[in-house]
This record gives sequence, structure tokens and C-alpha cells, in this order.
Amino acid sequence: MNKKVLIVEDDVVFCKILTKFLTKNSYEVLDAQNGKDAIELMEMNKFEFAILDYRLPDMNGIEILEKLKTQNKEAKTILITRYGDQDVASKAIDKGADAFISKPINPDELLAVIKGL
Amino acid sequence: MKLSISKNVHLVEPGDFEPTDHWYPRVLNSNIHPLVAYFLNLSHEQIAERYHRLHPQSDLDTLMEILRYQPQYFRWAGTDLMHVTNHEGNRRLTVIETNSCPSGQKSMPLLDLNVEQGGYKRLIDKTFKPMVNAHKMEGALAVIYDKNPMENIGYAATVADVFGENVYLAKFDKADIDPPVKFENGVMFIRNEKDEWVQIRASFRYVTQEPWTRLPEQTKTLILNPIEACLAGGRNKEIASAAYDVFNEKYKDKGIGIFTPKTFRKVKYAELQGHFDRLGGSMVIKVPDSNAGQGVYTVISQSELDHAMSEIDPNDEYLIQELIHSNFSRNLDPTSAWYHVGTIPDSKGRSFAFDLRLMMHATEEGIRPLAVYSRRSRFPLNQELPEDMNSWEVYGTNLSIKGEDGWTYADERLMLFDIRNFGQLGLGVDELIKGFVQSTMAVYAIDQNAIKSYGNSPIKDYINH
Repeated sequence: MNKKVLIVEDDVVFCKILTKFLTKNSYEVLDAQNGKDAIELMEMNKFEFAILDYRLPDMNGIEILEKLKTQNKEAKTILITRYGDQDVASKAIDKGADAFISKPINPDELLAVIKGL
Repeated sequence: MKLSISKNVHLVEPGDFEPTDHWYPRVLNSNIHPLVAYFLNLSHEQIAERYHRLHPQSDLDTLMEILRYQPQYFRWAGTDLMHVTNHEGNRRLTVIETNSCPSGQKSMPLLDLNVEQGGYKRLIDKTFKPMVNAHKMEGALAVIYDKNPMENIGYAATVADVFGENVYLAKFDKADIDPPVKFENGVMFIRNEKDEWVQIRASFRYVTQEPWTRLPEQTKTLILNPIEACLAGGRNKEIASAAYDVFNEKYKDKGIGIFTPKTFRKVKYAELQGHFDRLGGSMVIKVPDSNAGQGVYTVISQSELDHAMSEIDPNDEYLIQELIHSNFSRNLDPTSAWYHVGTIPDSKGRSFAFDLRLMMHATEEGIRPLAVYSRRSRFPLNQELPEDMNSWEVYGTNLSIKGEDGWTYADERLMLFDIRNFGQLGLGVDELIKGFVQSTMAVYAIDQNAIKSYGNSPIKDYINH
């Protein structure tokens, strides 16, 4: 069965490009553009992976990470940060993030990170 | 591709074009109807000669002049047309509106199976590339957009392939208080991965929501289409209607004209009731700057008029058009009433109103057809409308779904010009020719209006080459 991935990022183009890319690589992907929708998806699905942008319109990625880990502590999370966001990256790791990557994102590199987890 | 090099900006690289990302799934598996392929390959001479035979009063030389016209501002366009008939069975294609950022590539089957980028490539290769090559300026290439990411990522990937260089794909949204696109002295800049502003020499533009709030006139950066195309009628139904009238007056002795439903411009809110009564209890109210089916109200009863008037701004002026009716009525004026021809009845006898979206582009030959598809209404023309249903269900053909992000649409009402769907429309090559000539005249009229309003475009030099 394909592994289920959640992408949370407010840029719809980012979500759709990455969704199509990961789908072609045999993942089942759902996406949300804000924290509220992400939480709704988490209530209805069990995700093996989550790719979370730190900056969202209504929450931040670490808050979503914490909620996801409460539901499923086995879930792997990757936090997306901006270039130079070292503090955010450290905090994310402290809160249980499995990896962080900085924008800009190369989909192939992201896939390698996912496969490495 | 590099995603999110800065907020709402992606860097698209040569080799990024993925066909499955830029067509609706249904279209990927469709085959173009042979009649449509035949039409798309007709020469201007064949089209003009045939139109002249269908309309013997038309002047052949004038038709050729219009088909070969080189627009200065409006070099990529889409018209919405409807197939109508009158009480005598005189069938015509009527222009409903003309768009300066038309969607359509994602709904168009491949014309040539060997060119996997399809119409995206024809537009970039034959229209955008020659303009960019003649435009001597330093800087990068870009695609700016505010809707329809499925097609715009496709355009960016095609530009990257055709030019062999990276392309900035930037969302230029009306509501963005810190957009990644800015203009200085007519030059466009886009924010890169270091939060620095990169100069843009040429940009493909799909910015549709009040674009005049963000795009300046007479830019130094080459833009397809520039804002003048919108201001001269490519996005404003009122100005377009006036441009059509100028065209029709100019060419009335040549036996040609742009055919639209009977139109009243600059109608004040307080005058809407009077128009409704004079038109026999039905009409279409259009907000001049509206698009994507928003701000258009079909009205067939007093309660629908009251509802429309409760939604629109009492301080605005509106465009009123005679409704294209669903079925013949002896109460209608036979000299002005037009009816939807509708789809060929299905096995349940249902015939639906439909429109045609015809996308065109200016090439070195002149204006050429590029893509075409249809959309049908939800409720059939030939059944009684339930009391609780709005007439838009019978007459409205837009596929957009509220909250649409370019990825959701009413798939069941999209009518492809493929082997499976095209026959259901009851159209032939002659209708496609009529529709194309009508569309070309509309583009000509709007471009001439742009030249009259804003002077010659800087790209005139390219055209003169």
C-alpha cells in the first residue's frame, strides 16, 4: 500500500506540484493550505509522513507537528524553513521533527530526504 | 524546478514540462476530432474564401486583411461564442465576450501527437518567442499569474524549453500586500531566492483580477498581453462593445460585422427595471469588468431581477444584453429574438445550451486559431425549469466552481472537441470558420481601439520587421 503523506503549505502551486511529483513516486498525498484544514485532514487520515511549512496563515508548522505526533508518534515529519531560519530548525528538531529542509525546494532532493527517513 | 525560491515564486527549468500536469486527465486520453484538426490546418485563404461563400455579401479582400492583421497589443485572445438561430432557422455564431488571458490549453486535445507540448508550444514558439527575440533588453524571463496554475506552470515550462533558460513563475495576486512582482519605470522585477529583485526582459501574463491595479501601461518589459489589451476591451465588456460598434460602422459597406446579442451600454441601476420590461421580461445583466461567470446574471422573472439588483452595486453602470432564449415563443419579437441551437438531443431527449471558447494567437501569418472547446449548461433547454431553480442553470455555461484554484471544475459539462464529444455539439467546419472569423474581427476591433487609445505599441517595430 502506498504511504500516505500530508503536505501543508499556503502556496497552492507548491502543494500541487509536490503532490503530483510524490504521487508519481508512489505516495498517496493530501495537501492543505492552512493549519485548520491540515488538522481536519489529520482527523480523517493516518499519515506516515508530513511535510510542513513553518509559516502558515493561521498556525506555524511546529504546532501542526505537535498535533500530528500526538495522534501518531510514529509519523515522520519534515519541516520546511526559509534559508537562514536556524532557530526554527533547531526548535523543530527539539519538538520531534525528523528533518528540515530550506527553501527553495528541489523535489528530487526532497524525495531523497523522505526515502532516507 | 526549484519550488518557493521566494514567497510565491518558483523557478522553472528546461525539461520541467510534464504533460500529465498541464491537461485535464480526460483530455490526455482524448483524440482530436478530424474535422477540428482539418479546421485548425486551414489556410487564411481557405477560411476567407469559405466565409465569403457562406456570406456572399462579404468583401473577400477585407476578410483577408483582417485575418492577416498583426495586432500591436492583443496578440493572444479567447472569445466565448454561442451557436444561435432565429425563427427562420438562420444559424449564426454570436460573440459573447473576448478575453485577454484566455484559458483553454488544458482542455484541448493534441493537434499533433508528436508535439507533446501541444498548443502551449505553438503559442510560445510562434507568438511569444519572435516578440522576445526582437525585444532588445537585458533580463530574465517570467510567467506572472493570479489564477489557473495548471496552464501557467505549463507555459513557464514551455518558455523554459523553447528559450533554453530558467523562468520565474510568480503569483501576482490582487490581495497580496507584499507581492513578488514590482515595476519601476516600466521595468518588471521579480524577487529571487536571496530576496533581491531580478530584472525581467519579457513576461507571459495571466493576471486576470483587476490587472490594471498592478500592471502599468507602456512597459519597457515586454508583456504578452500588455495591460492595454485589457483596457481597450479585452477585459471590459462595455469598452469591447463600443469597439465592436466602431468596427461594424467602419466595415458596414464591406458586408462584414461582429455579431452580438442586442446590447445596451452604461445602463444605470435605476434603469434596469425599465430595460427588463421593454425586453419582454428577460435579459442578461453584466458587470462590465466581470469574468469567469461571476457578475453575469440571466434574468427571466421579476424575482430574478430583484435578486440580481440586491447583489449588484446601485452606484455602478451595467451592460444589458438581450437573452438568447431557450425555446421559440410567439410572444418574442421575431426580428430580434435569437435562440440557442443547443447540443444534439441525448438519448433522453435533452438538449443543452453550450458555448465555444476559441483561443487565437498572432503569428507571422496573422491571427490563427489555437485551441477550442465547449462548455454546456447544467439544465436542458427543452425541459420546464423547476420553480426553485435559477435560470443560470439553463443559460450559464461556466465551469468554475467557487473556491476554484484552477484544479477543480465541473468536468461533466466540459465538451472536448474530440472524437467522443464534438459530434454532440452539432457543429461543422462551417460553424468553426464563422466563429473564427467573428473572433478575429473582435480581436481586430479591440486592438484598433487600443492603438487609438494608447498610441502605437513599442512592439510595432517587431511587426514591421
